[in-house]
Amino acid sequence: MSEIDKLSDNEEQRQIDELREILAGENAGQLAALKQRIEDIESRTRDVSEVLAPAIRQADSRDLVASLQEPFSLTLKQAIRSEPKEYAEILYPVMAPSIARAISQAISSMVVTINRTVESATSVESIKTRIQSIRTGIPYGELALRQSLLYRVEHVYLIERESGMQIYEITAPDTQSLDGDAVSAMASAIQSFVQDSFSQDRSAMLTDFKVGEHNVWVAHGPKTMLACVILGDAPEELKGDLYSALYKIRTDYAVPIAEFDGSIDQFDGLGDILQPLMQSRLKDNESGKNRSSRRNSIPFIIIGLALLYFFYQWFTHNNKLSTVEYYLRQAPGIAATDIYWKSGRVVVEGLKDPDAKAPYGALEAYGIDRELLEFRTIPFRSLEVDMELQRFRSELTLPRGVYLSVRNEMIYLYGEAPIQWLNSNDARIRQLAADSRLSISELSASFESVSDLLRTSFAKSDLQGMRMTSAARGELTILEIGGTFEASKLALMSALFAGSRWVMVTARESEKGSEDSISNQSDTPVR
Amino acid sequence: MRKKKICMVGDFSVGKTSITQKFVNNVFSEKYLTTIGVKIDTATVGEDKLIVWDVAGRDSLSPINASYLVGASGVILVADGSRSSTVGVLLEIWQTVTNRIGSVPVVVALNKADLDGWQIDDHSRALLDQQGWDVFATSAKDGKNVEAVFKKLVEIMNCKES
Repeated sequence: MSEIDKLSDNEEQRQIDELREILAGENAGQLAALKQRIEDIESRTRDVSEVLAPAIRQADSRDLVASLQEPFSLTLKQAIRSEPKEYAEILYPVMAPSIARAISQAISSMVVTINRTVESATSVESIKTRIQSIRTGIPYGELALRQSLLYRVEHVYLIERESGMQIYEITAPDTQSLDGDAVSAMASAIQSFVQDSFSQDRSAMLTDFKVGEHNVWVAHGPKTMLACVILGDAPEELKGDLYSALYKIRTDYAVPIAEFDGSIDQFDGLGDILQPLMQSRLKDNESGKNRSSRRNSIPFIIIGLALLYFFYQWFTHNNKLSTVEYYLRQAPGIAATDIYWKSGRVVVEGLKDPDAKAPYGALEAYGIDRELLEFRTIPFRSLEVDMELQRFRSELTLPRGVYLSVRNEMIYLYGEAPIQWLNSNDARIRQLAADSRLSISELSASFESVSDLLRTSFAKSDLQGMRMTSAARGELTILEIGGTFEASKLALMSALFAGSRWVMVTARESEKGSEDSISNQSDTPVR
Repeated sequence: MRKKKICMVGDFSVGKTSITQKFVNNVFSEKYLTTIGVKIDTATVGEDKLIVWDVAGRDSLSPINASYLVGASGVILVADGSRSSTVGVLLEIWQTVTNRIGSVPVVVALNKADLDGWQIDDHSRALLDQQGWDVFATSAKDGKNVEAVFKKLVEIMNCKES
């Protein structure tokens, strides 16, 4: 910059100063003083302190509260942290009654809960509850509590304490319409009446009263009351919720409550605080409980039906085993040692005569098919009378006139049998009789068959004088042929019955010339 | 709708409850009056909902329960025009009211105007004139001026607020 330029600038500044002096004139000193006052912090602080109080008074309270809320909050927190003891002493007169009331409320709630528990523990309901508890596995206490929670909060009123004016109302849907203003005023009046009538120091609080099925619970704050109209019996915990809501209202709406003039414009959002109080556990829940109970009982019904089915199965299986055992015991030739179910079949273990027949017919009448039976038996020969009889019948094809019968556990083969049949079955008969299982003492050869046999070999005239008699010889009944015959004919006759033990020829040889004709001298003459 | 609490006060048997019943729909039994000393009704006047506290009358044994007055936006003083003593009592009651809740809007109902020979005496008239109150001769029996009393009180209350 040149020297000429510098001179020009200084001149310009001087001219400006002169102009300023002309304009400000006598006020220049005042301006300087003001400037000094503004720049002087002490002076400025003094000035602000003078206008601060009136300014706060004149300020819009809502704006002021909003502006001061955060710094006040921080300041309070900091102050309480640094001097907790001093603040505790300051707050004690304020907090102590509330704390005492809260403790009293909690103890009262606990006593009521205990009373209800004791009451429920000694009633018929408790027995039902205990049974339900055992059945469902839900602890008894929980079930008892559920039963005591059948209630519905129908109305909640926020009431200005002194005037009884209703500040806010919230009502559950589908409930009886009440004039909330009148109810609130009446609750307040009753509260005043209670204080005047029952308390010397006006500290008595109306905390609850009953109107028909409705209980009205009242929570008290310094400026407001919260009245709650409840259908049924609510749990004591609701009182805690009432006081919590009241505390929050007191905190959030302190200014609107203080300025309340009958208008609720300043109480936006209050419903959000009161809404959680609209609790309900009504009979829908009860019926829900019943539904739940029914739902819970379904598994037990299924288990019960299953048990019933298994019992039925066990009973019918057992019954079938008994039936099979009974009929097998009756059946000859079967000696069952064990009968049991396996893989859906009745297994029979023991001894079984190959000739024995299982009583399928009788068992089928009881619904026991032959496929159901499985014999795991060892074969044996049964000496039971019935088996022997059956066996004799199959072995000895009995001719007409011959019978088998049982007397005194002994089998009798009796009757008059053709001599040919006797001769052909003699060995078997002899064997059976030798085992003492068969009596043949009443069995004999029939006269007819012997006569017929004789006639095949002899002329009728040759048999004149022949006699046939039956006689017991030892164990047998023998047919004896008597008479007198020529030697040749006698020899032929003897040869005819040789080897047969059923017929004995006792005839004699006739003397020569004195042969006479054979005459029938038997008891039963030859026909 | 703004809500306003008003109180009906006066000596016993001046007809406070009768006037109230003539004006509002009854909600609660009158038993409240004898048990807790107040009966509450509600009524709507224009844009305002009135919560009417019908306070039990003062008698020789007990004063009115001043706690019921708290929060009232207005008061209706009720006297029996045929009994001058009840008019005199209004001044005592008004003193109780102002002591408790300050000077609030007020109107006076001189009731039983339907009775034969009903006539307020000069002394009583002078007392009321001194106070500068709005005075109505009312009859709960035939409804004379009943509605006018309430409407006037609402008008005064609204004027005061505005």
